[in-house]
Amino acid sequence: MKSIYSLMAVVLMSVSQISYASMKVTVNGMVCAFCAQGIEKGILKMSETKAVFVDLKNKVVVIEPKDGKTLNEKDISQEIKDSGYDVVKIETISQTVAQFRAQQKEKK
Amino acid sequence: MRLFTHFSLLALLVITGHAAAAPMGFKNSWMIMGDFSKTYQEFAMNYATTTNDAFGVSVSAMQTDNSVSRQQNVEAVYTRKVARWNLPEAQANIWFIGGLGSTTGNAFTGSKAMASPGIQVDYETTRFYSMASARIYAAQGATSNITTARLGASFYEADYDEPQPWLVIEARRMTFVSKQYEFTPMLRVIHKRYFVEAGANLSGQLRFNFMYNY
Repeated sequence: MKSIYSLMAVVLMSVSQISYASMKVTVNGMVCAFCAQGIEKGILKMSETKAVFVDLKNKVVVIEPKDGKTLNEKDISQEIKDSGYDVVKIETISQTVAQFRAQQKEKK
Repeated sequence: MRLFTHFSLLALLVITGHAAAAPMGFKNSWMIMGDFSKTYQEFAMNYATTTNDAFGVSVSAMQTDNSVSRQQNVEAVYTRKVARWNLPEAQANIWFIGGLGSTTGNAFTGSKAMASPGIQVDYETTRFYSMASARIYAAQGATSNITTARLGASFYEADYDEPQPWLVIEARRMTFVSKQYEFTPMLRVIHKRYFVEAGANLSGQLRFNFMYNY
């Protein structure tokens, strides 16, 4: 019985991580909010985007997909380039934008 | 005062205009800009058709300190991001700004065709800002130029959605107005799509700049 509960917990955790898989993009040249707003505006327009967080201090952009949607790495990369910046690295993280934001605040 | 003189000289070393940060916004965005003081007023807007190109219009007016000489310009303006260096902690740019239009003034009758090519270079981090620009307003018998250098420092590093205040010092020479440089310390506040600067030059003349990008 115990093992069934453990299995269920693992499955539930995996499901929640999959649905919250966000993209964390490291961007070069992102130094001011006035200039970087093009990134936020462009990515928010994408149909699969639920939320965007621009972290100027760490030079990263975190994008969370809508439930059941998958983010397109190539489109996001292009959108950031169209805003005038260079993409250095793209990672998948198991956090929502709100969770990532809260984590950054805690670090302060 | 001595510190201020050193700061101003440093600004001059960078090179030696136009108002503010990037003179155009991101692709498919509008930029509205204003620069207002006793001797120079400009209202401009442009639309970025690509990441590197923007087309717009500008109306500007210059007058001498004693208000005796005045000139007004109306132009179609093309802005080109010639080069950008995206660095891990900084950004640097070279911009071309070129206008074609007409000018009127109280020193001549009628209007004259005018061309106004210019260049701007800038380098900035989240805490430091520097810019130099030069622009010629060429019209037969009525040519002048504006050269500008700016240095700025932010009071603190701000998050993306927080207002960020800066202290900016500008050295500007408008040959239509004077052969001398005017030095203007300004308080700048950037908050996402808003960019506002306010200050006064050493003669006490007020200055206000703004940019809005959407």
